Amino acid sequence: MASSAKADPEEHNREDEENAPAADDEDTGAQVAPIIKLEEVAVSTGEEDEDPMLDLKAKLYRFDKEGNQWKERGVGNVKLLKHKVSGKVRLVMRQSKTLKICANHFDCKSFMEMVQEVAESRGKKEENKDATVTADLLEKLSVGESKSDGKDQEEKAAASKDKEAVEDKSETEEGTKDEPASKA
Amino acid sequence: MALPNQQTVEYPSFKLVIVGDGGTGKTTFVKRHLTGEFEKKYEPTIGVEVHPLDFFTNCGKIRFYCWDTAGQEKFGGLRDGYYIHGQCAIIMFDVTARLTYKNVPTWHRDLCRVCENIPIVLCGNKVDVKNRQVKAKQVTFHRKKNLQYYEISAKSNYNFEKPFLYLARKLAGDANLHFVESPALAPPEVHIDLAAQQQHEAELAAAASQPLPDDDDDAFE
Repeated sequence: MASSAKADPEEHNREDEENAPAADDEDTGAQVAPIIKLEEVAVSTGEEDEDPMLDLKAKLYRFDKEGNQWKERGVGNVKLLKHKVSGKVRLVMRQSKTLKICANHFDCKSFMEMVQEVAESRGKKEENKDATVTADLLEKLSVGESKSDGKDQEEKAAASKDKEAVEDKSETEEGTKDEPASKA
Repeated sequence: MALPNQQTVEYPSFKLVIVGDGGTGKTTFVKRHLTGEFEKKYEPTIGVEVHPLDFFTNCGKIRFYCWDTAGQEKFGGLRDGYYIHGQCAIIMFDVTARLTYKNVPTWHRDLCRVCENIPIVLCGNKVDVKNRQVKAKQVTFHRKKNLQYYEISAKSNYNFEKPFLYLARKLAGDANLHFVESPALAPPEVHIDLAAQQQHEAELAAAASQPLPDDDDDAFE
C-alpha cells in the first residue's frame, strides 16, 4: 500500500544512520527494580467466532461538528468480520502498534459498497494486484442485511489516489461509544 | 495514583509524569494516544492535566495516569509538586529547537530530586520535520544518566507506542511484555428512526464538503 510520496519511517534517521549511536531498541536505561509482578494472561481478541472477509490498511476520521472539520481517529487495519454462526457482519478497526480498537460497529453496508467500487475500478485498470485480490474477496461478500439503520450513512470513505488505500471516515459518536479505551 | 475524583481501576495503574519545555508536544502526544487526532493548534497547558491511558498487554490491561505538565514556566503551577509519587516519567524535547534539548538536564534534575530511581524515557519529538536542529548523534544525555531514548513523531506516529511499552516493561520487570489486541466486544445493536437517519444524511453531506486534514505521515508506510 505504499506510495512514493509516503515518508519512509526510517527516512527521518537516514542521514544520521551512520553516526547513530544506538540501535533503535538498545536499552540504555538504568536498572530499576520492577514495582509490580505481572503474570501472563489468556488473551482474547473477541474475534474468535468470526471470519475476516476483508482486512485493509486504513485511516479513520471522525467529523467534528462544532469545528466543522474532519479529525483523525486512528491509523491501522480495518476488518469486516462475519460471524461463523449468525452470519452477521461487523466492521472492526484497530490502531496499529497499540492494537486498540478505534471503530467497532454493525451496519457497514456503505463502507462495503465503497470498497467494492474502488476495488472494481482498480481491477479494471489492472494496476494493482492488491485491489484485484480485494475485488475477488468482495465478490464473495454477501451481506443479506437489507435493513439499514442509519449508521452506515455516517460513514464516508474515499479512496486516495496517492495512497492506494481506503480512508474510512466515520462519525464521532459511533467510534467513541464503541471503543472502551477512549472512555479512559 | 489516581486523583481523588477519578475512578480507580482493579487492574495495575501507574503514575506517569511527562515533563519538558513548552511546545515540545507533550499534550499533542498524549492526545494522539487518547483520541487518535493530531492537534496542530498550540494551547499551552496550565499547571497539569491528568489523563488515564489504558493499554492491553499479554499480561493483562494496565493503565498509565499521564500527568501532562505545563512546559511554560509562567503556567507551571505546582511544578515539581506534580512529580510526587511519580512511578515513571517521560522527558520530551523538540528536535527542531535546540534550546529544548539544552533544558533536558534541568527537567531531569528536578524530576530526580522528587522521584528517585524511576524508569525514565527521553523522547526527541518532531523527527518528521526536515530541518532538525538536534541530530540523533548529538543526543547523548540519556547515556550519561541512564535513560532510554526514542526519536518520536506525534505527527506521523513514528515510535509513538515505544515510550509506553518501554515503561511498562520496566515497571513489570518483563522484557517480553508486549501489546496485544484488545477484545473487540460485540457492538450494540442500534436502531435509528427515519428522521434521525435523514438528519445523519444531511450532516454527512455537509461533512463531505470538508477536506481531510493533511496526512503526510507514515500511515501507509
